[in-house]
Amino acid sequence: MKNKYILIFTVLFSILLGSCKEEFLEVDAASSVLIDDYYNTEERIFEALVAAYDPLSWTDYAWGQFVQLNLVSDVMSDDVYVGGNDQGDQAVLHKMFNYDATPEIVCSDLWTTLYSGVKRANAVSEYMDDVQDITEPTKALYLAEAKVLRSYYYMWLWKLWGNLPYYETNLDFPYTAGQLSATEVYEGIVTTLEDAINNGGLPMKTTSENTGRVSLAMAYMIYAEVVMYQNDESRYATALVYMNEIISSQNYNLNSDFANIWEASGEWTDESIFEVNYFSNNGGKDWGYAIGDGGTVYPKLIGINSLSGSSDFDGGWGFEPVRQEVYDLYDDTDQRKNAGILNFATYAAQTGATYEGRYQDTGNFLKKYLPRANGNEGASASPDMNYNNNLRVYRYSETLLNAAELLARGVSGSGSAQSYLDEVRNRAGVGNVTATVDNIIQERRLEFVGEGKRYWDLVRTGMAATTLVPNEYRTNTWSENKKYLPIPQSEMDSDSGLTQNSY
Amino acid sequence: MKKTVLFLILAMFCLQTFAQKHSVNGIVRSSDDGVALPFASVVIKGTTIGTSTDFDGKFTIEASNEDVLIFSLIGFSTQEVLVGNKTEINVILETETTGLDEVVVVGYGVQKKSVVTASIAKVSSEDLENIAPVRIDNALKGLASGVTVTSTSGQPGASAQVRIRGIGTINNSDPLYIVDGMPIGGGIDYLNPSDIKSVEVLKDAASGAVYGARAANGVILITTKNGSNGKLSVTYDFSKGWQSKWNKRDVLNAQQYALLINEGLVNSGEEKRYDDPYALGKGTDWQDLVFYDNAPVENHQVSVSGGGDKVLYYFSGGYYKQDGIVGGNFDRSNYERISLRTNTTYNLLDNKDRNFLNKFSAGINIAYTRINSKGIGTNSEYGSALGGAISFSPLLGLYEEDQAAAAALHPTAVRDPKNGLIYTIAGDDYNEITNPVAQLALPGAEDTSDKFVSTFWGELNIWDNLKIRSSFGTDLAYWGNDGWTPEYYLGKSSYSDDSKVWSSMNRGYTWQVENILSYEKSINDKHNFNIMLGQSAKKTTGRSLSGSNKYMVEENGDKANIDFTTGTAANGDQTAGGGAWSPHTLSSVFARLSYNFSEKYMFQATIRRDGSSNFGPGKKYGTFPSVSFGWNITKEAFMDSRPEWFTSTKLRASWGKNGNENIGAFGYTALTSTGNNYAFGPGDGVLVNGTKASGLANTLLAWEESEQTDIGLDFGFLDNALTFTVDYYEKKTNGMLMTMAIPSYVGESKPTGNVGDMKNWGVEFDLGYKFKVGDFNFNIRGNVSYLENELVNLGNADGFANYDGYANVGTISRAENGMPFPYFYGYKTDGIFQNSSEVNAHVNNEGGLIQADAVPGDVRFVDINGDGTINDEDRTKIGKGMPDWTYGLNIGIDYKGFDFSMMLQGTIGNDIYDATRRTDLRYINLPAYMLDRWTGEGTSNTIPRFSFSDNNGNWLSSDLYVKEGDYMRVKNVTLGYTLPKNLVNKAFVKSLRLYVSAENLFTFTKYEGFDPEISSGGTSLGIDRGIYPQARTYTVGVNLAF
Repeated sequence: MKNKYILIFTVLFSILLGSCKEEFLEVDAASSVLIDDYYNTEERIFEALVAAYDPLSWTDYAWGQFVQLNLVSDVMSDDVYVGGNDQGDQAVLHKMFNYDATPEIVCSDLWTTLYSGVKRANAVSEYMDDVQDITEPTKALYLAEAKVLRSYYYMWLWKLWGNLPYYETNLDFPYTAGQLSATEVYEGIVTTLEDAINNGGLPMKTTSENTGRVSLAMAYMIYAEVVMYQNDESRYATALVYMNEIISSQNYNLNSDFANIWEASGEWTDESIFEVNYFSNNGGKDWGYAIGDGGTVYPKLIGINSLSGSSDFDGGWGFEPVRQEVYDLYDDTDQRKNAGILNFATYAAQTGATYEGRYQDTGNFLKKYLPRANGNEGASASPDMNYNNNLRVYRYSETLLNAAELLARGVSGSGSAQSYLDEVRNRAGVGNVTATVDNIIQERRLEFVGEGKRYWDLVRTGMAATTLVPNEYRTNTWSENKKYLPIPQSEMDSDSGLTQNSY
Repeated sequence: MKKTVLFLILAMFCLQTFAQKHSVNGIVRSSDDGVALPFASVVIKGTTIGTSTDFDGKFTIEASNEDVLIFSLIGFSTQEVLVGNKTEINVILETETTGLDEVVVVGYGVQKKSVVTASIAKVSSEDLENIAPVRIDNALKGLASGVTVTSTSGQPGASAQVRIRGIGTINNSDPLYIVDGMPIGGGIDYLNPSDIKSVEVLKDAASGAVYGARAANGVILITTKNGSNGKLSVTYDFSKGWQSKWNKRDVLNAQQYALLINEGLVNSGEEKRYDDPYALGKGTDWQDLVFYDNAPVENHQVSVSGGGDKVLYYFSGGYYKQDGIVGGNFDRSNYERISLRTNTTYNLLDNKDRNFLNKFSAGINIAYTRINSKGIGTNSEYGSALGGAISFSPLLGLYEEDQAAAAALHPTAVRDPKNGLIYTIAGDDYNEITNPVAQLALPGAEDTSDKFVSTFWGELNIWDNLKIRSSFGTDLAYWGNDGWTPEYYLGKSSYSDDSKVWSSMNRGYTWQVENILSYEKSINDKHNFNIMLGQSAKKTTGRSLSGSNKYMVEENGDKANIDFTTGTAANGDQTAGGGAWSPHTLSSVFARLSYNFSEKYMFQATIRRDGSSNFGPGKKYGTFPSVSFGWNITKEAFMDSRPEWFTSTKLRASWGKNGNENIGAFGYTALTSTGNNYAFGPGDGVLVNGTKASGLANTLLAWEESEQTDIGLDFGFLDNALTFTVDYYEKKTNGMLMTMAIPSYVGESKPTGNVGDMKNWGVEFDLGYKFKVGDFNFNIRGNVSYLENELVNLGNADGFANYDGYANVGTISRAENGMPFPYFYGYKTDGIFQNSSEVNAHVNNEGGLIQADAVPGDVRFVDINGDGTINDEDRTKIGKGMPDWTYGLNIGIDYKGFDFSMMLQGTIGNDIYDATRRTDLRYINLPAYMLDRWTGEGTSNTIPRFSFSDNNGNWLSSDLYVKEGDYMRVKNVTLGYTLPKNLVNKAFVKSLRLYVSAENLFTFTKYEGFDPEISSGGTSLGIDRGIYPQARTYTVGVNLAF
């Protein structure tokens, strides 16, 4: 009898000992899935693509720096000042303004944000192999979108820092990538774009419900921008072909009312080739969680300090005052003068509004992106962080001016530099000027004030060193070594293979 | 048929005759002094038949000639006597030589103390009896060397921070708790300390190695009580105590407050606030209003134990209730525990006829505990009850002066539940600091916990001394938190416009299966082997669920339920959350070989191979070896001629490697992360879900490893009445888990990697001495430990990381390479500028003023880096919270029926950062030391002038905040009296002891705060933000045994 129990006991023991297999240690996450097992349907790989779009909206503010792309570009130009309370307020911007950024004080949030975009864009092609039920055209389209997004992120990194750690396959241990020279990075960006353009089946323009996704026109615009910034004459002809394709496609047109472009109703009009989408309704961006979904804080940042008596705009923190001489550049008949810039004296005369000037006040504000009254309506998190002003990345007028400039530079191709330039000027309500390269560059300044184009135009045309000179607030002169910002110190510390830019 | 019956009758008769019993009587005496021993147990071997001696040591028992009588009594060696035809048996019991013949519990077994080669501290039930702790972690304080125990606070049921041989890692440094073989997660306050037989602290790597991947921070083995053969014992213990504060913080009274505020204003060029400070008197003492004196604590404990050859049993029930000395009277800081336990052992088979499969026993231990507790913030400068009590203006009264006006302005102002009066509402001067009494009058949340821990085991003797033991254990815990808040208004930044009720429930379940094969062999009584092979598997799963809703139908605690509210999900009033935990599994095999040669030379080797689900493919398994040696020097022939008082010496040495896998799951891989969305389409667009990897995978992620070397010496003198032990150890943690210092351009949050290193070394001394003087028995035990800790490498690029912060002062503690972890961080000061010539004399090499903004009365800071200015770079180490030395001393004295015990415990070399004063708020009350501020040349060289304008930064983080934290505490004093047996025996009572005791009777410290013992809030030890102090408790109690 007893022996029976002993037997049972011994058998039980053997079972227990035998039951302990390797699988016992393989546990499954409760509310998540291993990323390598996840992307097996078209629907899911699209989620990976959406995640690659997500960082587009972080550039205004992610972890503490107010560094919207147009803002960091323009503070280095001759169009705007930094403003705010004093030079210690957003020191990053003030340092970049005066060309004395340091590895510690530089727009490192952008570095991190843009590389997040790179990583997520790379992930789309990495995970694509496991997707079963996807058609070839859809697969090609998604891959092309990811490539264009990667090019966009790298383009900004390249313009800001030049010599970059560059990778197209995401990094594993030891998590370092080789640093390429600016020219090598350029080759990477251009060839990626060419691949996306030639093999992606991208539509020239997205359907309405897909606005915000990458189009062929968007790819063309990035192509033209990098090629022209690199002064890569070997690709000018192609760039011109691309611009002409956009123009002849009839998908895009100039908006007849320049002022309307900057209102909520002017978003994604026919003039718009690419915008970063921001929205206020249920906007969830918050201090401490600025990478959530919602609007942007940038309008609040440049809003008019202690504004009262205005029914058009919300007040703000008084950054990015526009220089008086820029306001004075325009003809009085130029629509762009008062549609792009708010001259407070003029505005006060019309409305009786008042404000209190802050540091570097000029009385001129960047009207294009000022926070509109009710522009943050419906925000569920911080109202300040959830304005709905989209970031205008590429407008059709730039297509025209790109084409005009290429033609003016003697690139052979169809179209007329003069008529393209005239089209832009006529919409603004001003007469014709001769389509010389210099006039076209000047036209770009007028057309795109506050849109983050001017500084790069000065650099690529070699005018920076003579134009970006000391003034009332700027003590340093731009020089060729200022072309590439210092790489953030934490990056230098954590990758001994990096060579610092000589800023 | 008939024959059978006849045979049976005959057989019975025969048996009857065969087992003819006769009466045996005698006296049991002690070998020491020949006194008669009452209550010695006399049992017939192999039966449950027995008796015990009366008060004169006499016994009478019916026994047959073949019977063997077993005489036993606690504190004496057991003796067996064959009855034969004797009718009188007088026995002299030898007093048990304690010390080296003691048995010590080691992982998966026991060892004789004399052959133990590792460093293990033992705390027995007798040690625990005197201090009657609520929680076993708190009870270890002062009892074992090498164990630093710091109570988190004085809140009832508060845990303690236990560090074995220092802080081993910047991650979780808690030791592993094993109760009756079952690892216990989520705190061990479920355990009723009265049920504990012994606690063994495995301090070195050699003893811990058998627990491999979890032993890097030490192991605490707890063994609960069981019945013993032949004795039925019933005990009832009751105690009732009264707790009160033992210390108040000196703050300003109304008059002093008004004077200083005026001075601060005048010094900053502003108008005085109070016209006639001298008319204001003493004002309100908020500490008196907040502290609850004579808060009751009550304990009931019943246990029954006993058994016979077949069954041994112990079962117990306990009830403990304690009100806190802050908020206990408002039902805000209260603790209640009901604990039930049954431990049973069954000897199912004991066949002496064969030497295989001849013995089989099994047992089950089951414990159930329910805990209800309520707690308040214990250590916060942001408006905790005590933080408020020392900050709130003494000019304010408890209640609003104009009740009607206050009610009109704030209809939801908090009222005194007793008289309905509105408590004073904090004005704008106090930010989030509110009336501390009003704060306590709000309802709090209640934590509830139900825990079932059970272990079922069986042990079979297979052949000779080859045994197999299998066990299955479970730990099932349910816990939750329920609370509500009415609409209320305490102050501008502390109010609620909506009533709200919330509830959360969690359940966790762990099972563990272990099988251990052991073989013991002694060859020629010289070569003694013990081999153990084992296997263990463990799995933990759990779930949680929580929710809340706004707008209670009735603002009433009894009706505070989510389903009795009117909030709607559509309006965002409701929240719901929860889900499953990712499971955790551990699978291990282990082996241990112990060998000793005549107990002279000892050797032990352990190896454990652990597999953990927390690590990825190829990294799941880790191997943890250890070796140790022992040499009983006094057994050598050359030591034979040593003096008689020199009883024994043993040299021990050990080395081993342990691990820490306590890092959470899936660090090695990447999971999906949702919510990376983007909006497409015009206008607000349509938000589309995006998914990405949760992070970067580090497939190389592995355990933190800790290597430790220990050398120890054990001495025994005077027949081991005097024992002395000294240990030296070095412990190094390699590959501490931290966020890896990789570049951000990876485009993803950085993975965790094995990057840091930590080092601890220390010396430990233990001394014990038992002696007699006349009728007095003395028992003195003491321990002293010295410890040094160094963070060798934090593993990040900066080499430092900021830890705790304090209000507007900023960072006050840091981790840094080459420094103790963590340390207090700030400026060093060098007195006060007495006059302007001193300010002007404080110049750098170039003759420039080092502190150009300073005026007389300001602090002179030390220019640590010598760059000629004072800036952030001059901050340095200004103290540390971990003591250099910890010590404990226990003294026990018996005299006839009286017993007296005292326990002292303390620390040396630790600092306290006094973060109780909010320098960012103008009109809060000030500590009394501000009366000694600088007011003119020569008035003070330590405390700067008082001014609201401070260009010099007098109250930046500096050594002005750092105070000596050394203390010595008379932790417990007990005086007991055991009534004479002949008196109590008449009432069927075996023994009756009455006692009075005092806990925390005296605390000797220079520190002026509520309590020098602080480990609550933040990561560091010793940051005082107005700590909830431990109470001084007077207790009366009774121990009854039947």
